[in-house]
Amino acid sequence: MIYYTDYYKPQPKTSLVRELLETGAEGVKPEPLYIYRSDEPTLGSVPVGIVAYLASVLPILFRDLPQSSWLSSPESAFPARRWESESFAIDIEMLMGELARKVRLENPHRIREYLLRFPELLDVIPRAVNAAKRHFPEAQIVMEVYQDPEIADRYLVLYIRLKHYDDSVINRLQKAESEYLDQLVNRAGWIQLTTDFREPGEEDAL
Amino acid sequence: MGRRYANPPIVEAICEFILTAETRWDLTVPGLLYERLKQSFPQKEQRMVQEVELTQGPEGLQQQIRTSERLLFVTEHRNLLVQVGPRLLVVNALKPYPHWEGFKPRIEMVWKSLQETIDVQGLERIGLRYINRIELSAQSIELEEYFEFYPFVGRWLPQRMTSFLVGVEFSYANDRDRCRVQLTPITHSETEGKIAFILDLDYFLARPRGVAVVDVLDWIEEAHSRVEEAFEGCITDKLRVMFEEVSG
Repeated sequence: MIYYTDYYKPQPKTSLVRELLETGAEGVKPEPLYIYRSDEPTLGSVPVGIVAYLASVLPILFRDLPQSSWLSSPESAFPARRWESESFAIDIEMLMGELARKVRLENPHRIREYLLRFPELLDVIPRAVNAAKRHFPEAQIVMEVYQDPEIADRYLVLYIRLKHYDDSVINRLQKAESEYLDQLVNRAGWIQLTTDFREPGEEDAL
Repeated sequence: MGRRYANPPIVEAICEFILTAETRWDLTVPGLLYERLKQSFPQKEQRMVQEVELTQGPEGLQQQIRTSERLLFVTEHRNLLVQVGPRLLVVNALKPYPHWEGFKPRIEMVWKSLQETIDVQGLERIGLRYINRIELSAQSIELEEYFEFYPFVGRWLPQRMTSFLVGVEFSYANDRDRCRVQLTPITHSETEGKIAFILDLDYFLARPRGVAVVDVLDWIEEAHSRVEEAFEGCITDKLRVMFEEVSG
C-alpha cells in the first residue's frame, strides 16, 4: 500500500556533502563530482534546478545505509553524475512539485501539457511566482492555462486572489509583472499575472 | 520490433550526444547547424544555462559556476527540439511521442547535419532516455500489480510505504553501455485522487569513446531495443492494457 508524502523534504544534505568528500581519489585530477545546470536561480529561496538535482542524487543519499555496497566504490551503481540528460519533462515535474506548494494549480494536467509545448517558460515561471508572492504576500495565487474562447490562443495565467481589493492592486500587479516581463521577450509561450477579483479559496477562475 | 501502444506513457524521449574535447567547436557552429536544420526546425530560441561544477581536489571541495548559452531549434508543432551547446547536441521528442519510426529519422538527420558541419572526433557520451509518466486512478496500490520493478522490503520492515525511489544500473556490452532505470512516485498534491509515477530509462554509453563515430547510428538503434526491453521488463500486463497495446 502506498501513500505519498513529500520525499524532497528530508535533510540529508549534510550526508551528501560527506558522501561527495569520500569519493575523491588522491593524486588524480578529479572528474567533476557533479554538474548542476539550471536556467533559473530561485523559486522562493530554493533554486528550482537544485530540487531537480537532489532528486537525481537521492540514490547517492541513500547510500548512507550502513553496509551498503553503494558506499564502497564511486565506480559502483549510481556514481555521481558527470552528465545530466537534458530533459524538459523532469524539469517540469520538479517545477510542478514546487509550484504545488506555493500556488493553487487549476487543472495541472493542462499546465503540464502547456509547459511541454513551451518549455522555455520553465525558468520564467519561478520569477513570476516569486514576484507575485513578493508583491502580494497575503494573496492566494492560482495558476491555470487560459484558453481564449474566440481564437486558438492559450497562455498561462497567475491569478492573485485577495480578501480585500483596494486601489493599489493594479499598481502592485504592474510592479510584479515588470520583474519578469523582460524574460518573456523572444520566447514562445506567455505567462500573465492578473486578478479575477475573487476571494481566496473560491472555485474556478474566470 | 517491440510492442506498440495507442496510449503510451512517454512524456519525453531524449537523444544526447556529448562530443570529446578534441572535436573543434566554436561559436559559429550552432548557426551553421541551424542553417542545415531550419527546414525541419524553423523556430530558433535560446536559453541561458547555469552550471555549477563541484570537484574534489586535494584542497577540498571546489566549486565553479559558469553560464553558457544554449540554442533551441524547434519544429512547427513544438514537439521536437534540438538543443545545441558547446560540444553538446540533444534531440528531444515531447509528448505526443512520434514513435521510433518518427523519432529515429530526426535523430539521424540532426546527427548527420552535425557531421556535415564539423569534424566529430569522438563521443564522450551518447544517451537515449525515455521518461514515462504513469498515472493511476487510485489512492493506493499494490506495486506488484503494475510493476515488475519496485522496491523490495524485508518482512521485518513496515510494508506500508509513504515514498520511495528505486534505481538500478544494468550493464550491457561488457559494461561499455549501461541502462539506468529509476522509478519514483510523484508526490504533488495536484495529483489528488491519482497516483503518478515517473519511470525513467536512460541507456547511455558508459565508456567514453567506446563507440566509433561511424557506428553511432547503429548504437542508437541498439540502445532503443535495450530500452524497449527494459521498459517491458518493468511493467505488468495490467499496465499494458492501460496503455492500449495494439497489434502490428
